[in-house]
Amino acid sequence: MKGRRVVITACSAITPIGHTRAEIVDSLRRGVSGVKPLREDHLLSKFIHSQVFGTVDYPVDFDFRRTYRKTMGPVAYYACQVAKEVLDQAGLPPQFVTSGRLGVAFGSTHGSPTVQREIYKTFFGGAQSEFRAIGAVDYLKSMVHTTAVNITKMFGITGRVISSSTACTTSSQSIGFGYETVKYGMQDAMLCGGADEYDTTTVAVFDNLMACSTAFNDRPRCTPRPFDRQRDGLVVGEGAGAVLLEEYEQARKRGAAILGEVVGFACNNNGGDLILPNRAGISETLRLGLKDAALGVDEVDFISAHATGTKMGDVIEAQAIHAVYGGGPFVTGLKGYMGHTMGSCGAIETILTLYMMQDGFIAPTLNLEEPDERCAMIRHTMRLREQPIRVASIQNFAFGGVNTNLLIKRFV
Amino acid sequence: MTREQITVEILNIFRREFEIEQPGLDNDLRETYEFDSVDAIELLLGIERFLKSELTHDEKKMAMGIRTINQIVDYVEGLVRVRGRETHA
Repeated sequence: MKGRRVVITACSAITPIGHTRAEIVDSLRRGVSGVKPLREDHLLSKFIHSQVFGTVDYPVDFDFRRTYRKTMGPVAYYACQVAKEVLDQAGLPPQFVTSGRLGVAFGSTHGSPTVQREIYKTFFGGAQSEFRAIGAVDYLKSMVHTTAVNITKMFGITGRVISSSTACTTSSQSIGFGYETVKYGMQDAMLCGGADEYDTTTVAVFDNLMACSTAFNDRPRCTPRPFDRQRDGLVVGEGAGAVLLEEYEQARKRGAAILGEVVGFACNNNGGDLILPNRAGISETLRLGLKDAALGVDEVDFISAHATGTKMGDVIEAQAIHAVYGGGPFVTGLKGYMGHTMGSCGAIETILTLYMMQDGFIAPTLNLEEPDERCAMIRHTMRLREQPIRVASIQNFAFGGVNTNLLIKRFV
Repeated sequence: MTREQITVEILNIFRREFEIEQPGLDNDLRETYEFDSVDAIELLLGIERFLKSELTHDEKKMAMGIRTINQIVDYVEGLVRVRGRETHA
């Protein structure tokens, strides 16, 4: 079914390697890592083997009035900040923002764990008088769609709300579902993305699954190591990313700057194990994405791999890429720079890819020094390349067996 | 407790909890200060702390029509009266 063209007209990210476009591009070009020592949280951190975290360690100048702040946990602060920057950058007419023709697709892994932690402290504290302190505001801050609806409230957006919460595919689904919503005419624009805040609970979960990096606790910047022989697991991170998707004719008529075009999206499930990656499922997602975009494998020249740096995940992904593309496109695992920013990773990796696409370079996989021989059959980006990207595939996979593939084309 | 004391404490709650300084006593809180349903619930909690007394379900329902600071003060005065009667009964 042929639909309308969908273009990206604004983007913004808060990442462990920078907030502004210039900072992020500089980090990519200079190989700067955003992985830092895990902070003491007086609860879990001392029990966690992995002592590293992809950290936003610079101040973000939030300037929200109390009427908006009162329903926001840390994750919603991130989400509303990138949403604000995207709307400022896009310059949409105010009457369009509130017209019902702009929707929001935004999510996080599990609302605000910081707020949830406070609720549980009260709950298990045992003092009857304190139970009443758990109120509507705590729920609004911690509920799973807190990012999406705090954005709608702040900007008076009255269109559709989609709030995916599928762990690592949360924000790639946001962009993908937003793309389909605009493509098939349900909305004329969608503000899409994801966010996750600093949270040691997530680290503890992956640590217990023995999926976290532990061998580089004394050298945080050296991990994660996507596809590398010495990789020993993922590094949890925090951040947020947002893009504005618009129907092409509308964007053109209003003279919007077009940063790229979304030309395809696919999402499927492995239909089985909820943790282990699945080569057949991932390969199928990659093929479905190409089919949706009506592109041949030789037309894709860059792949942003999910590549978390785990022992098995990277091998399965490399096998799937090779099965579909052979050794053609350059492959970079952007998590080498900032760890796994969870619900925001798909959006952040899309934005970093857009920056590289616009500036005509391909960043290497940070910490990939010697590819694991089981991952070596694909074309790894081993050094900074001054080279244009025409079409990029952004791949993300999540617990629960969810796989996504976004295809972005340089707009010329 | 005098009406003046109640007014001072309500204004303190508005400054401390809602970042609203010197609100007009007869201004419509929703229209003038974007005071909403979430704030109303927070205000009731603040009043409970001030009175050191839990409000009944019916008392909370009575508060739903309140629109101004003066109406809040009237409401709290009523609560104080009821509690005073209960104490002396």
